[in-house]
Amino acid sequence: MSTERIIHLADLAFIENGIRTIRSDVAVVSQQVEGVGNELAHTRSELAQLEQLFREFIAADAMAKELQLAETRQVKVRQELETKYGYYDQVRRQATGILQAADISIVRQETITSATEELMLAAPRYWLAPALVALGAWINDNQALATKALAEALRRDDEKTTLFFALVSRRASRAAACGTWLDRYFGMQDPSKLDRQTVVLVDALASGVFGADVRNKITSRTEAWIEELSQRAGFVEEQRTQWNAALRSKAPTLDSAQRYRYLAKHSPTWNDLNASMNSAGIHAAVLEHFRQIFNGQIPPSPNIQVAVDNLLHKLVKNFDDEELPLRRDERLCQLIIDERGNRKAAQDRYALESAALDEQINFTQLLTNAAMHPEIAHSSRDTQRYATALSKQWIKEAHGDVTAAVRAAVPPSVQIDIEGWSGTTDNGENEEKLAGSLAKYIDGLKDAALAVLKVGVMHWAALVIGGSFLLWGLPTLNLLLMGLGAGGVIWFFTARSKIQKARAGVEAKFAALKEQAREMLKASIAEVVEWRREFARRDAAAADVTALLDDISPQQYVLSSHDNARKVMA
Amino acid sequence: MARTILGAKPTLDHSSASLATRGPSLSLSPQQVEARLRQQRSRKYIDAVTKLDAGSHVHSKEAVDELLREIGQELREVSADFWPIGYVSKCYLGAPYEVHSLDRTGNIICHYKAGQSLPNGMERARTIARHPQYAFIEVYSDKLIAVTQSGDVSLIKG
Repeated sequence: MSTERIIHLADLAFIENGIRTIRSDVAVVSQQVEGVGNELAHTRSELAQLEQLFREFIAADAMAKELQLAETRQVKVRQELETKYGYYDQVRRQATGILQAADISIVRQETITSATEELMLAAPRYWLAPALVALGAWINDNQALATKALAEALRRDDEKTTLFFALVSRRASRAAACGTWLDRYFGMQDPSKLDRQTVVLVDALASGVFGADVRNKITSRTEAWIEELSQRAGFVEEQRTQWNAALRSKAPTLDSAQRYRYLAKHSPTWNDLNASMNSAGIHAAVLEHFRQIFNGQIPPSPNIQVAVDNLLHKLVKNFDDEELPLRRDERLCQLIIDERGNRKAAQDRYALESAALDEQINFTQLLTNAAMHPEIAHSSRDTQRYATALSKQWIKEAHGDVTAAVRAAVPPSVQIDIEGWSGTTDNGENEEKLAGSLAKYIDGLKDAALAVLKVGVMHWAALVIGGSFLLWGLPTLNLLLMGLGAGGVIWFFTARSKIQKARAGVEAKFAALKEQAREMLKASIAEVVEWRREFARRDAAAADVTALLDDISPQQYVLSSHDNARKVMA
Repeated sequence: MARTILGAKPTLDHSSASLATRGPSLSLSPQQVEARLRQQRSRKYIDAVTKLDAGSHVHSKEAVDELLREIGQELREVSADFWPIGYVSKCYLGAPYEVHSLDRTGNIICHYKAGQSLPNGMERARTIARHPQYAFIEVYSDKLIAVTQSGDVSLIKG
């Protein structure tokens, strides 16, 4: 009996050892599974980062391609301009060349005649070629040829030829002739459909090129134009619309995601916030634009000849309509380059300034273009000042509208999404409440995760059945029952230990997540507060724009004249 | 729930002071109407509307009627169809109230807390109404007009 018992005890120890080994193996497997779980979570996180990087790469690649395309296209457009209209340049250069040569009488009459006649052959259809023949003939006192060439130039482009000879007459101090040419020019103009080159006339007026009589005449004509335009229905509204677009064209197109990293990542409101911030940037940009126009002295041209030559050069160089389609293409390419390949932003800017590249515009649009897009309208700073002063009231009203629209578009509250939780804040005043809500949400996630990690019915059944088998087998020393019973009990405790470990892991994971989410929320709210401050700073610049416009007084626009007279323009 | 400040409940039976039923019926074109609405507001009108937040108007129906008469007087050239559907301005009652409104059709002055939506399309005026530069916002079906203390107006389409 005792021998049997020893054997039985020895056998039980063997079984126990086996079960201990299994338990150890199960623990190892459990650790491995947990490791795999962590790896999976890590991989998911990396995959999300990779997806984000990939999206950014695609966007950057598309922009780089657009940029490259725009640069290539711009070169092609410029080559096309050179090929198609390059020979115009030779003609253009000679316009002021002939006048300056005649000033100092160092070129023989025959040379001028021969040069202009050659230009006539080289530039068919171009209005300036016969105009230069007429100019050469006039200098050489050949009235018959001058009349004939002039008739041809007028036939090719009446308005430009008329303006050209008005300026040439002014250069030669022929006041009566200048007046006659200008009368002719004005007679052809419809203030609602002006050719772009009229800005040259405004330049001449604003820079004091004309004598007192002519200047008064032009001033009264431009005032009559404005009066005529203002009689039309919807005129004032049109001015506001024009200036609204002109002011909005100065809005920066920056992505502030680098400065507001948390909002860019966690707020669905981010795009609206970024757009609002850019819109608020209009004030500083407009302020800078007007300051550049009004600050400092404009150095006057040394004499009337230089002043008129500059105007003539501008007139013959920049306003040929047949070049316009290519000039528009070139401008769009330039804007795409300026916007670093962001085609949509470039097209939006182009839409706002495209009126400056229209063939015909009304007088007030011409003033708007001259004031706001001098590089496209080819206007001088004198003209910018003059145009701004004339349009002051419309600018103020349009700026008021733009300012109000920008303020109205500011998102009143900012949504923040973190780990599936969502909350809104106006300016971070409810941070505590949001933090509580977020903590509660993550606690909820944790509870859900812990809910599945508990000792189940099977485990309890194994414990009960195992215990019963042990109680049943021990008195009779039934090894089979005892083995099964011990197995059930051990399985229960092993599983419970594993679950406790897993629960501890979940607790730790969610504690870390909670801390991380709290930090993200805190950082996002801090950025909301900073965003509101920055917006307020930018918005405050609106008052500076209004003050600057209010300060524009007529006395600022006393124009110097080459006739030693002065005139208040506005 | 918005806080209705008037003692009486909102009534659908518009009194003689109701802006919806008063005012001349002039045949101005939409452009002329807009030109009129673009004009500077009078001191009297601004004072009347800004008193929305003051104690004298919050309990007295007569006072509100007086205010509505003032509004009708200001926009007398314009047909009632083109008058504002309501007014929204910053509320100086203090937290938790943020803005208040005068609903023209119901003649109700209500004060709204942060996060509480304004009815009848007036919610779009909320953000700008909180800006300190504007005395109040006139709400129209197709636009907002922001009015400063000096009477200058700015128009926002939509």
